[in-house]
Amino acid sequence: MTEPVAIRKAASAIIEIDRVSQIFQTSARKDHLALSDISLTIDEGAFVSILGPSGCGKSTLLYIVGGFVSPTDGAAKMKGKTITGPGPDRGPVFQEFALFPWKTVLGNVMYGPRQQRVRASEAEAQSRGLIEMVGLKGYENFYPKELSGGMKQRVALARTLAYHPEVLLMDEPFGALDAHTRTRLQNDLLNIWERDRKTVLFVTHSVDEAVFLSDKVVMMSKSPGRIRQVIDVDLPRPRRRNELLLEPRYQKYVVDIERMFDESDEAGSTS
Amino acid sequence: MMPPTALVRRAAPVLACIGVLALWQVAALALKNDSFPTAVEAMRAIPAILGDKEALINIMASLRRMAIGFGVAVLVSIPLGLMMGRSRAVAAFFNPLLMVIYPVPKAALMPIIMLWLGVGDITKTLVIFLGVSLPVIYHSFEGAKAVEEKMLWSGAAMGLSAIQRMVRIVLPAALPEILTGCRTGLVLALITMITSEMIARQSGAGNILFNALDMGQYDTVFAMIIIVGAMGIGLDAIFERVRARLVRWSEPQFDMPLSFS
Repeated sequence: MTEPVAIRKAASAIIEIDRVSQIFQTSARKDHLALSDISLTIDEGAFVSILGPSGCGKSTLLYIVGGFVSPTDGAAKMKGKTITGPGPDRGPVFQEFALFPWKTVLGNVMYGPRQQRVRASEAEAQSRGLIEMVGLKGYENFYPKELSGGMKQRVALARTLAYHPEVLLMDEPFGALDAHTRTRLQNDLLNIWERDRKTVLFVTHSVDEAVFLSDKVVMMSKSPGRIRQVIDVDLPRPRRRNELLLEPRYQKYVVDIERMFDESDEAGSTS
Repeated sequence: MMPPTALVRRAAPVLACIGVLALWQVAALALKNDSFPTAVEAMRAIPAILGDKEALINIMASLRRMAIGFGVAVLVSIPLGLMMGRSRAVAAFFNPLLMVIYPVPKAALMPIIMLWLGVGDITKTLVIFLGVSLPVIYHSFEGAKAVEEKMLWSGAAMGLSAIQRMVRIVLPAALPEILTGCRTGLVLALITMITSEMIARQSGAGNILFNALDMGQYDTVFAMIIIVGAMGIGLDAIFERVRARLVRWSEPQFDMPLSFS
């Protein structure tokens, strides 16, 4: 893997979020402003993280792009078209894995291609390749209940990649995993991503996860959920975790972002 | 060679049967009552019943009504329960209705149904249908309600329509719960079958039982109880086999299967 990664063609927007607000009715008379006037453009092929404390609406924003939730106000667009519902051009990967427990690993990964009328033999060959790519060769005929959390998330990733979405929507995908498994999956995700450079929108509350993975980190604050700042992460790729952790520029990004969150917390508590 | 614990587990239901029969035998011998034959006497009467063409026709008629009542109930109740579980509006519409019907013993409705539909097959099958429906609806409802939203979203992203999500995600995801309801329904089908034949005596296993009681043939009465009981145990065991196959992918909630299979 020695492809030139420093030079990239002028990026074009694939997702545009245009003044999106989301209000949830928490009780009969109380409304909760989950997202307030969010505008954001995501370039094709970029790895963008949405980073923020729990309750800042970062997952809701992802669900709006996925078409699972309709915004109260504003609109999200995919390649210029307003998003009105879910579609195979945007593939979600959830923290809860959401695998089909009655299907084997192979059955789960083949589900999307089969839905799109890919011939069974072809879908199976592709799916077996993906299962190998996520490191689960030999587990094709296992049921989800027989797998660990990390393995389930690998299957979920393969299942989503199988139907070739243009954008991956990852909703705290490694949030339910232990630290060790989490680190390994982050590495593997980057390896996979560096091969085909799909656009990724990645929701997380972990600062170092966001910096390690992303080209761009969108910092959000809560009550109401707003974009606080967008930070371009200018670190070379391919990134290797053990090298990056020693890199002063990486450390500075992490420290700076953490400091900004701390300041906003203090500002929030005194106001 | 089976390990001893597995051997004991396998033999346990058989031992339980022998235990019950032994208790019965001892109790009957001790009480010496004409209306309480011993287990051996009752079992001696079984071949006579099973060898009698008339009796077999009656029992087959019972089983046919039970199969139809159970089958139609399952076919209607599963879609209804699933829709209630996924749609607040559907649930809000049917819930009050079902809450009213639920605690009413279905056999208590028989006089009215008999009045309208006569004492024939339709009445009895309808009562079985009513008896089976409620647990199946209830469990399908609970199963559908518990289906993870994210699983449905994953399906929607793959391009599954609302109906496809219902059939290809909600149904299989809720299947373990649905089958629990069906198992309860199967036993209830047997109970309502016998009860309906007690009330509208015309044919069936219940009819043989109560005719024998009228005529004071107590060994036949007890033999019929054994036959009906064995039918229940047999059907339940077959159902459990099928169920275990269909949902072997699901998390086991209980290590000890509560069945004879």
